[in-house]
Amino acid sequence: MKMNKLTLLALSIGLIFTSCTSDDNPVDVIKGDYDNGLLIVNEGNFFQGNASVSYVSNDYSIVENNIFDNVNSRLLGDTAQSMAFSEGLAYIVVNVSQKIEVVDRYTFESIATIDTELVNPRYMAFANGKGYVTDWGDGGSTTDDVVAVINLSTNTVESSISVGEGPEQILAKDGKLYVSHKGGWSTNNIISVIDTATNAVQTVLVNDVPDEMIFNQAGELVVLCEGATQYDANWNLTGHTDGSIVRINVSNNSTVSTLIFNDDKYPSLMAYKDGKLYYQAGSKIYSLTDTATSLPTESIINDSFYGMAVNNNTLYGVKTDFVGGTGDMLIYDLSTKSLTSTKTLKVGAAKIYFND
Amino acid sequence: MKKIVFFLVFTAVCLPGFAQSITDSIQVLDEIVLSDSKLINYASGVKQSVLNDSVLKQNAKSLTTLLAFNSNLYFKENGLGMVSSPSFRGTNASQTAVIWNGININSQLNGQTDFNTLSSSNFNSISIRSGGGSVQYGSGAIGGSIHLNNKLAFNTHFDNAVQASYSSFNTKQTGYSSSFGTNLFSVNFGLFYVESDNDYKYLGTNKVNENGAFENLNLNVNLGYFISRKDVLKLYSQSYIGERELSGTLVAPARSKYEDENYRNMLEWVRISGRLNSSLKVGHFQELFNYFENRNTDSYTFGKVNTYLLNHSLNVRLSETLQFKTILDFNSYEGAGSSFGDPKRNAFSTTVLLNHKPTEKLDYGINLRKDFTSGFESPFVFSLDATYQLTKQYKIQINGSKNYRVPTFNDLYWNPGGNLDLVPESSYQVDIGQQFNFEYYNFKLNGYYINTEDLIQWQPDTNGFWSPENIAESQSYGAELELESHYKIKAHHFNVNAHYSYTVSENMETKKQLIYVPFHKANVSLAYGYKKFNMYYQHLFNGEVFITGSALKGYNVGNIGMGYTLNEKGSINYEINFKVNNLYNTYYENVALRPMPNRNYQIQTIIKF
Repeated sequence: MKMNKLTLLALSIGLIFTSCTSDDNPVDVIKGDYDNGLLIVNEGNFFQGNASVSYVSNDYSIVENNIFDNVNSRLLGDTAQSMAFSEGLAYIVVNVSQKIEVVDRYTFESIATIDTELVNPRYMAFANGKGYVTDWGDGGSTTDDVVAVINLSTNTVESSISVGEGPEQILAKDGKLYVSHKGGWSTNNIISVIDTATNAVQTVLVNDVPDEMIFNQAGELVVLCEGATQYDANWNLTGHTDGSIVRINVSNNSTVSTLIFNDDKYPSLMAYKDGKLYYQAGSKIYSLTDTATSLPTESIINDSFYGMAVNNNTLYGVKTDFVGGTGDMLIYDLSTKSLTSTKTLKVGAAKIYFND
Repeated sequence: MKKIVFFLVFTAVCLPGFAQSITDSIQVLDEIVLSDSKLINYASGVKQSVLNDSVLKQNAKSLTTLLAFNSNLYFKENGLGMVSSPSFRGTNASQTAVIWNGININSQLNGQTDFNTLSSSNFNSISIRSGGGSVQYGSGAIGGSIHLNNKLAFNTHFDNAVQASYSSFNTKQTGYSSSFGTNLFSVNFGLFYVESDNDYKYLGTNKVNENGAFENLNLNVNLGYFISRKDVLKLYSQSYIGERELSGTLVAPARSKYEDENYRNMLEWVRISGRLNSSLKVGHFQELFNYFENRNTDSYTFGKVNTYLLNHSLNVRLSETLQFKTILDFNSYEGAGSSFGDPKRNAFSTTVLLNHKPTEKLDYGINLRKDFTSGFESPFVFSLDATYQLTKQYKIQINGSKNYRVPTFNDLYWNPGGNLDLVPESSYQVDIGQQFNFEYYNFKLNGYYINTEDLIQWQPDTNGFWSPENIAESQSYGAELELESHYKIKAHHFNVNAHYSYTVSENMETKKQLIYVPFHKANVSLAYGYKKFNMYYQHLFNGEVFITGSALKGYNVGNIGMGYTLNEKGSINYEINFKVNNLYNTYYENVALRPMPNRNYQIQTIIKF
């Protein structure tokens, strides 16, 4: 599915005419081959250089793998971690390649590569006209972890903000950045709150291994804490701290509620849509309302994934076999809770984004 | 081989009173001169190939290059000088045993030997034993084994050699070796140092091999002394100290560094008394690595294992045609490391080997072994082998064996992921070989089948945590051809060596060829000598291999070299050698996204006195 430039041009002209004649009836213009669909980041195998991005159209009729390679005739890189979007651009964070590939989010044509001063980049967010990238630094060092600040016009790292060990996911809201500290090679239990006007960092204590975060409809920050595996001095497994879902009031960074997983199930993935939160624990998927005071006992889907997203009453889950070198996306209808379709992606299929 | 026999016979004459007949003396002296006589005496039905001196000299730098171009082995090398993993017959590097003077030296941490940590120049003989050998050589001898031996020559001699070479990418090598002996005492010494910037260009790109510099030192010292007419004491010592930057890939820059050290010391007391040969070995090995995630910092993680070994073997020759050997072996391993606490393991094994030659033409062996390892049950293993000399020129070899590999310290204890519930891999195999020996040429043709169960593989669980499991079952089958031909007209010597292997190695469940196993691999080496001049050409074809989710193209690489000896008859002689590697300037990747060097040159001088 390669739209040629003429088609695009024709559509653009169409838009101009439509715009002139009917202002109150906007038409959805297809902005590129990869509009109106899902983009899936496939991590690839560690140090095998086979990271990729897949496109699946909203009607599931089109699946194209390796779209970055196909458009730009070069490899994406090694171990793609995540993707972030701003101003019509997609920023693909490629962890082991120590870089961020900047592409047009709809055509996937390369715009720039940010490949200096990044060591172990993880996730990216945008605020204050700048990009912010969490970076572990050397995995073995607990003192070199930063949020790198990206100048979006020059696509270079202009400064960095020191933070605690293992900064992972990052969300922006009202000029502030919220960073979950999963802990990198170690474990951690904090959220960093960065004021982008001053770069001042405030630390909020949560539970062990905070990873996924969302803002709910009430504007609260919801953090999924996975819990930490514990070892003694000889690395013998001694236990596991409880996982939890923590709600934080961001006006004063106080904890609103903490739902503890105390049944030896450790939560890992989280998605949020239309006032409902979805998470994975003990190889099953559960859902939760914003104001729930206890965790549900009934699962909604008895399956487990490596990555998960929800949209239009549909749950998308990806699975991967790192040894066999395959990846798949399973599409579940949330009304019937049944599997409707499976699409073949690439190895390390992990993060799912909606590109509309 | 002829040379060795001649040498042994000659030595026997120098040591009167030991031997009854020439055949006896060869056997007896095997025990004294060779460090690993079971390689010859208890493997008649097993394919073995010995690399001769001229082949060793052509590839003085690298054991990887030596074997890739002169055997059926296939290598995975993470770029020049980086970690190099051998494999036989579609098995993997941890199923390939490396035997140093009779003792298995595979790492207790990852189960493998990195072939770029061993210098071929410090060994007198390198042999390749194809097929399972767990009875004789223990865990990991599933696909085959590579034998690095030092010989002690008990005759009056004093030989020295100094070598120096300079090659592309600012690679410098220096070596000194010395051998001294009387009929009671023998010592040899080898020192070899190499350093390289290793910053070769990646052909077709504007990149060079960054972060690939390496240097290492190999030191071997071997001593032998007759303390009485019946008793010999031997000391073997080998050290390796290396430092390597670990180069990245085409799409992953690198900043890490790896330091590793190996120390191996072993004292052996051999007593020969009539029909009994007894050997008692005590040894201490240490392996150590320091991994620097960022070479510019002082922070590193480490792993270390101390091995203490005690080994007794008794060889009993009941008659000229029947002999057996018992081996008792005790090993104690003590590990320590950043990622696995301080695990310990003890292993005891008992082995019986029997060899019988009921007729002139038939020779067979029955070999049994049982291991007792702390922490898990090791299988009882056995092998049967036989040779039948049908005609003077034609010989059939057959062997079948059960072999095993125990989980390594990494498999069991690595954090996170180590799995204490692992059981050893176990493997059955059969191998049928034919050998044709004619005046000017000989060839070997082998077919084999290997089935391995409970393969230990690291894979992620549903949470993405990697852990090893006994999951897969694999089978390998294939054919190997080895051809050697030599011809001489007046002072012109010609020599041809060729190897071809066809290998199918598949996961029994998916029926897919395993990754990094080429269906086809072939090499040819042509050598020509005329008086003081010699030249050679080596060619390697490595077929396409599957990699995770994709395939890696096959490649052809050729090397050419020539040498000249000055003052050949004098007491000091000089050799000058010149070699061009990757003659056709081929772009090739041996491991995905890790380009190998472009055309490069080496000039070497050797002074012998």
